[in-house]
Amino acid sequence: MTEPGASDSELDGLRARLAALEREYRSAFDQAQREADALFAQYQLSQLVASGGSPAELGQAVVVELVRLAGSEAGAIWLGETGRPKLALIAATGEFAAPLPGELASVQEARDLGAQRRDLRLIVLGDELPASVIALAVPGTGSLDDDGLRVAQLARHELASAFASARLREALERERHELGAVVDGATDVIVQVDEARRVVRLNPAGERTLGIEAALAIGRSCGDVLGCAVAGGHGEDHCPLAEVIATARPIAYRETAIRGAQGTPIRIAGGYSRAPSAAGGPIRATAILRDITAVRALEQLREGFVATVSHELRTPLALVRGYAETILHFELPAEEQREYVERIHGVTSRLGSLVDQILDITHLDADPLILERAPVAFAALVARLRGDLEISGDDARLVTELAADLPPIEVDIVRIGRVLENLVGNALKYAPAPSPIVIGASVDGDWLVASIDDEGVGIPEAERSLVLEPFHRAWNVRESRIPGTGLGLYICRRLVEAHGGRLSLGDRPDGRPGTRVSFNLPLAADRRRGVGRRRPTAQPASRGAARG
Amino acid sequence: MDARWIRLGGGWAARRPLPVAGSAVYTRSIGSRRGFAVSIPSPSRVADSPLSGESPLSVEQPLTAERLRTCLVRVRRAVDRHAAYLTRLDAVLGDGDHGDNLSTGFRAVEELLAELPAETTPGELLRAVGHRLVATVGGASGPLYGTAFIEAGFRAGDATELDPPTVADMLVAAANGLARRGRCALGDKTILDALRPAADAFRDAVAGGATGTVAAASAVAAARAGMRATRPLVARRGLALRLGERSAGHLDPGAVSCLVILVALAGHD
Repeated sequence: MTEPGASDSELDGLRARLAALEREYRSAFDQAQREADALFAQYQLSQLVASGGSPAELGQAVVVELVRLAGSEAGAIWLGETGRPKLALIAATGEFAAPLPGELASVQEARDLGAQRRDLRLIVLGDELPASVIALAVPGTGSLDDDGLRVAQLARHELASAFASARLREALERERHELGAVVDGATDVIVQVDEARRVVRLNPAGERTLGIEAALAIGRSCGDVLGCAVAGGHGEDHCPLAEVIATARPIAYRETAIRGAQGTPIRIAGGYSRAPSAAGGPIRATAILRDITAVRALEQLREGFVATVSHELRTPLALVRGYAETILHFELPAEEQREYVERIHGVTSRLGSLVDQILDITHLDADPLILERAPVAFAALVARLRGDLEISGDDARLVTELAADLPPIEVDIVRIGRVLENLVGNALKYAPAPSPIVIGASVDGDWLVASIDDEGVGIPEAERSLVLEPFHRAWNVRESRIPGTGLGLYICRRLVEAHGGRLSLGDRPDGRPGTRVSFNLPLAADRRRGVGRRRPTAQPASRGAARG
Repeated sequence: MDARWIRLGGGWAARRPLPVAGSAVYTRSIGSRRGFAVSIPSPSRVADSPLSGESPLSVEQPLTAERLRTCLVRVRRAVDRHAAYLTRLDAVLGDGDHGDNLSTGFRAVEELLAELPAETTPGELLRAVGHRLVATVGGASGPLYGTAFIEAGFRAGDATELDPPTVADMLVAAANGLARRGRCALGDKTILDALRPAADAFRDAVAGGATGTVAAASAVAAARAGMRATRPLVARRGLALRLGERSAGHLDPGAVSCLVILVALAGHD
């Protein structure tokens, strides 16, 4: 390597230069290695920061990473909430010389803490809300890795914005969860469709009402899932969802029908809207559908009530007025006057019973209906009714076919007395005099089955269930011009049902024209079981004997 | 200037903003390749292996550049074969790209081998492979494996044949370099959990007089045990950090890929 003839001093110079170059090279190499290490550390930190997760998860990962980077043994991070200066400790690792505060009132307090505690090195990642502060424990040797600290300082801004995004994600997630709970918890059907009216969301109430799982409904057309056309709601041309998609104007209220779980139509009132209302983002139209079958039924009831009451009140009032005016304006003989007053009396009694019935209904709708049950013999109830009928002389038409050993029943005496009075009253009203009204009773299990047979016009089969509803009168009865409110049978049914029994209308078992009303009433508690098992075989025989 | 190095350096500079580190490393490489009048000592030569020179294990076939190339091609095949498994493991703890990334990297290495002249020394070969891995493997594993190969290459120096003691030093240097760059320690659930035990086992076996083949077998066994031991560990480095305690119960994909690479390097398919 050396030229021949070079002096020793020249050789020494060259050696010194070689040693200097070697040192220079080694230091450059070490420096390059350190920088490569630092850059790799930055890369790893940024990978971690970009990986997302909740603020707590991110905090834990970042603290562990920074503790390693800085050559520390313990670290902690406080994170502020959006819009609040207060910071909470969200993650920590390792052992600190003294406990750390769980909360910091502000970033300034963090800085103060850093000034007080020699064992801590604080890095404020971001002053802006939400703020974040990292504390690293200074090891016993008193020094942290400068390269690592430098990396942490350089990544301050990225870390702060990563925590801000994590907070935002957390808030969004929570909000999404809450909104989801509202939609899932709603009792109305909520269905969301895309631009092509394919279902993208169906809430649990919708699953129940429509009888279809959301997973199966999604992707199908709304008409297919809701069955608006087959339920008689609206045709394809009048789809409210299509309308809001096309016009972007919400529909606050529209009534239509959908197909229910059993295939039956359900009347619904829908609110329809589109999001977003302006351009941008995928179009979603949402329908919120409320079952209004019950509302409609109530409205029909109200209409029936108004019609009946107005008719039933106005007719007798007109009569009363007519009679009263006649008495006022004409000089009538006392006998005739008395006759008119008697008519007024009759009409006002009818008005009185109408008012009673309406009051009864009000009580029936009270929830719960309180019954005053007491043991009583069915025959005693019938006997009391017979006593009431003696005034009008109708008691003569009442035929009782009751076995002497009928067990007592346990009922609300006043209310079942009213049931008997109503049913017998109906029979007397609709069956021509002097046809008999037959009251029978038998025992079936724990129940006494009572029946009332008349020889009246009968109830057309199709109307039998309807007349048990309020304000409904069978057509043949309406034609007969016999006044009535359509409430009597309804009240009877409700009272019997309140006792746990059932009331039904049918043909007379002997085949003669007329109606049999039968209902069952609970036997007194101590007479249930055993008694009933003995009776059923005796029942047809006793009745047959009575009829014969 | 040699066009290959410029291209390598360019790739490095373009992908990762580490021109200083890159240029320093290459300056030394170029220097030694060209045989400058002033020989710049490489860090690997500062502390030469006490066992270099005449090896008692020379009865075995020496590790030449040619054999190293065969080993590296075997690594490429092994990584390809296990790529899907590695990616699946990584999907649990990381970002689910480890197998694909390594696969891409070792294909690039195979291309590099074709470009390098036949007379390239094992050390140069390993350094070039390291740089190629850094430049082509995405994620943290590129720089980490790259560092390991480069450090091993430094340790190999200008030797044309590598004896087992040198290989032992190279493995230890690779583990040290990877630990320094990744700032990781044994038990952090990383590549090191397979690499460190392998290096130590190889070194101990050679010190005990074992042949290269025997030492390699014990290194593979140690790496396998280390890899398996990562399952219950809670990760303390890398993306798996964000899982916290939940990272326990899964094998570390890096430790698994390290085993795959070591097995292939040891001559097993």
